[in-house]
Amino acid sequence: MSVLSSGEFWAFVGVMAGIYTLFTLGLQVQFGLAGLLNFGQVGFMAIGAYTMAILVVKQGWSMWLATPLAVVVAAAAGVLVGLPTLRLRGDYFAIVTIAFSEIVRWVATNEDRLTGGSQGTINLSGEGVATQYNGAWERFQGWVGDELHIGSKDVVMLIIVWTVALLLLWLTARLARTPWGRVLRAIREDEDATASLGKPVFRYRLQALALGAAFAGLAGCFYAWQFSFFGPDDFQPLITFFGWMILILGGVGRVWAVPVGAAIFGFLFAATRFFDFPPFSYLDSADRAYVRLMVIGLAIVLLVVFRPQGILGRREEMVLE
Amino acid sequence: MTALLEARGVTKSFAGVRAVDDASLVVADRSITALIGPNGAGKSTLFNCISGFLRPDAGHIDLGGKRIDRSPPHRIVRAGLARTFQTARALTRMTVLDNVRLAAPGHPGERLDSLVLRRGAVRLREREVTEQALDLLRLVRLDTHADSLSGTLSGGQRKLLDLARILMASPRMILLDEPMAGVNPALREELLAHVLELRATRGITFLIVEHDLGFVMQASDRVVVMNEGRVLMEGTPDEVRGDERVIDAYLGTHA
Amino acid sequence: MFLQLLVNGLVTGSVYAIAAVGVSLVYGILRLVNFAYGDMMALGAFIAYFANVTLGLPMVLAALVAMLAMAAISIALDVVLWRPLRVRRAGFMSLFLASIGVALVLRQAILLVWGPQNRSYDVDPFKVYVIGSVRLSLAQVVTIVTASAAIVAIGVFLARSPSGRVMRAMADDRVLAQISGIDVNRVILVTWVISGLTAGLAGVLAALVQSSFDPNFGFQLLLPVFAAVVLGGIGSAYGALAGGLVLGVATELSTWEGFAGGVDPVYKPVVAFSVLIVALLLRPQGLFGRARVV
Repeated sequence: MSVLSSGEFWAFVGVMAGIYTLFTLGLQVQFGLAGLLNFGQVGFMAIGAYTMAILVVKQGWSMWLATPLAVVVAAAAGVLVGLPTLRLRGDYFAIVTIAFSEIVRWVATNEDRLTGGSQGTINLSGEGVATQYNGAWERFQGWVGDELHIGSKDVVMLIIVWTVALLLLWLTARLARTPWGRVLRAIREDEDATASLGKPVFRYRLQALALGAAFAGLAGCFYAWQFSFFGPDDFQPLITFFGWMILILGGVGRVWAVPVGAAIFGFLFAATRFFDFPPFSYLDSADRAYVRLMVIGLAIVLLVVFRPQGILGRREEMVLE
Repeated sequence: MTALLEARGVTKSFAGVRAVDDASLVVADRSITALIGPNGAGKSTLFNCISGFLRPDAGHIDLGGKRIDRSPPHRIVRAGLARTFQTARALTRMTVLDNVRLAAPGHPGERLDSLVLRRGAVRLREREVTEQALDLLRLVRLDTHADSLSGTLSGGQRKLLDLARILMASPRMILLDEPMAGVNPALREELLAHVLELRATRGITFLIVEHDLGFVMQASDRVVVMNEGRVLMEGTPDEVRGDERVIDAYLGTHA
Repeated sequence: MFLQLLVNGLVTGSVYAIAAVGVSLVYGILRLVNFAYGDMMALGAFIAYFANVTLGLPMVLAALVAMLAMAAISIALDVVLWRPLRVRRAGFMSLFLASIGVALVLRQAILLVWGPQNRSYDVDPFKVYVIGSVRLSLAQVVTIVTASAAIVAIGVFLARSPSGRVMRAMADDRVLAQISGIDVNRVILVTWVISGLTAGLAGVLAALVQSSFDPNFGFQLLLPVFAAVVLGGIGSAYGALAGGLVLGVATELSTWEGFAGGVDPVYKPVVAFSVLIVALLLRPQGLFGRARVV
């Protein structure tokens, strides 16, 4: 039980909550603002992470240049995905986006020379040569730690992630209140009525998709730095589903609901780790992992039945009136 | 008489059925033209083709001499042609004021780049837009509801909201899709008055699909009659009223 | 080689087709995108494994046990979860999220009981039938025969039986069907039974064809199945059947050298999705779907 009170552990949980906040903020823009059913968000996260790592390791770029470009590439991927698919009806679009994220994962697994293959970024310079993209980040982290007189790496990471997350949350909340946000909300409710008022519906949806993808790309970069190496299997559809759970848990349509959802989800996920008491203590660690996920699955179902709007959401989003 | 809208040989089929069959019509500038016919005559389909929500299988549609039948709805609106829907589609989750402000054209605040680079212009335009929106809401007597969610409006009020919205973009021509449907007599008079006044003071051309033949006779300069996808005839209200083919179509003596 | 690939494609495609019908009917009638369906297929496969390998029952019996078990589980889930959600008028997002929760629970249950390792059925893997230039394993033959019979049975049921016609009507235009005074609860029951049966059958057949399977194979199968449903056009059960076959065949044939060297077999799932995307570009409503009307 001592781990429960370990600062390091909860700092780690906080970092993951921050990364998922960025990831899910993208979903909030895409679905909460624009009504798009993007179930391939993890694909954009992968593109962000891999682009950054490849540029740093293979092209020798500085992390400070590689990261913004990685985010731009993720956004561009959003545009590329959206161009042929955004005219499809919502549920078709959803399936196609899952297909997209699986294609990304497949390419990452099989294009060894580009991505290091199934072993992940450790192989970015080819087999047998272990590579790191993390050097500059570690130095930056160290610098921040020195400036703030904080020794723990995890706490420093926590501060950096959440500083960025809070800034982007604030910007997004402001964006939602602009005339641009107004058009998106209108499109979400009734695209034909909005088109009849002279708005180019397709163009706005594309922008929302790309912006959301950029957030996922940034989340991917933070994920990459947090774990210092990653592989294609880090970007399974389950991640996207977790994002959707956080989105709905916090509440659809409210930007500030995202960190709430992420915090609760992070807590739930982490807390299930500590089922040290019977009957769980009779299970081996592999089985306990299965039970944890089962508990999460049950928690989701209960949430849907008893509080579909999540913490801060509106009932009309989730319930037919 | 200058023609503002010209449709020639418009055809549109669904699953083998010709909803609109080689239909042609001309709407004169500054006129009020009614489009009538029994249910299933193809009026809505023709409307959808003209406003860009459907692409015709064949034919041409010109607005002010420029071809519009290949354009998407938003470009047709920009070209000066606006439309309503049979059920007034208010954006219920937004306020009445926002509904109208939304319809303003050329707002830099609706562009991501301008939001970042031209903040002053954005604020200025939003002030203009708000002013204009409130003026229009006063015109349709909905200004007291400006900050309510449009979902709280009655059906009739939503029709007025529709009108206010459309006028934000200063259209040259308005397509009204059954404006009198489900409307009480008082509102009917008000809508009729608005249509006539808008034509007189702003020179707006109207093409109106309507079943309310009383309205048609009172308000329109010309009437176009459709049946089974084709244009049966076209003329003044009196000419149409007495025409045998029109009577047949409505009574269903055709097969 | 072409013929071999074509036959392989029909085998895979028929499994997709059966699964796709189950998914399509549930979506059409209950407006539920059942993300748990993949894990239902996996559970079916594992129950059959239990019957076949652990209990020693012949494969046919094991498959039947699996199908009936999944039908029962589907009904139970409706009673425990879907009906309460219907009563609370849960929207699309809620239903979707709930199905993810169910999928998670089912997958972990399989892992808890059977563990993550690969399993195989007690069938002869070496038995091969040779017809002309085509070689078929026992599993493939069984799959083609069973799947064809199932597809025909489903097709006939949907076309001829009163329940089937009602279901097609409801999937196509729910409001109209309800106004016509049909017994909605009965239709829902039948829908879940069919969904369970198809999940069980598709799971077993897929596991047979793959010859070795693990608890995650259900979800991997689910994506091409969703693709098949979309390809065929949501709301059309026949479309789902067609979509499944088309995807299966296209995926296998894409590896043929005759198509400019052919696609690397490792990329087959990518082919399936690409076929879907291209098809939707050309026909946004799917093969049998209805075009959108404003």
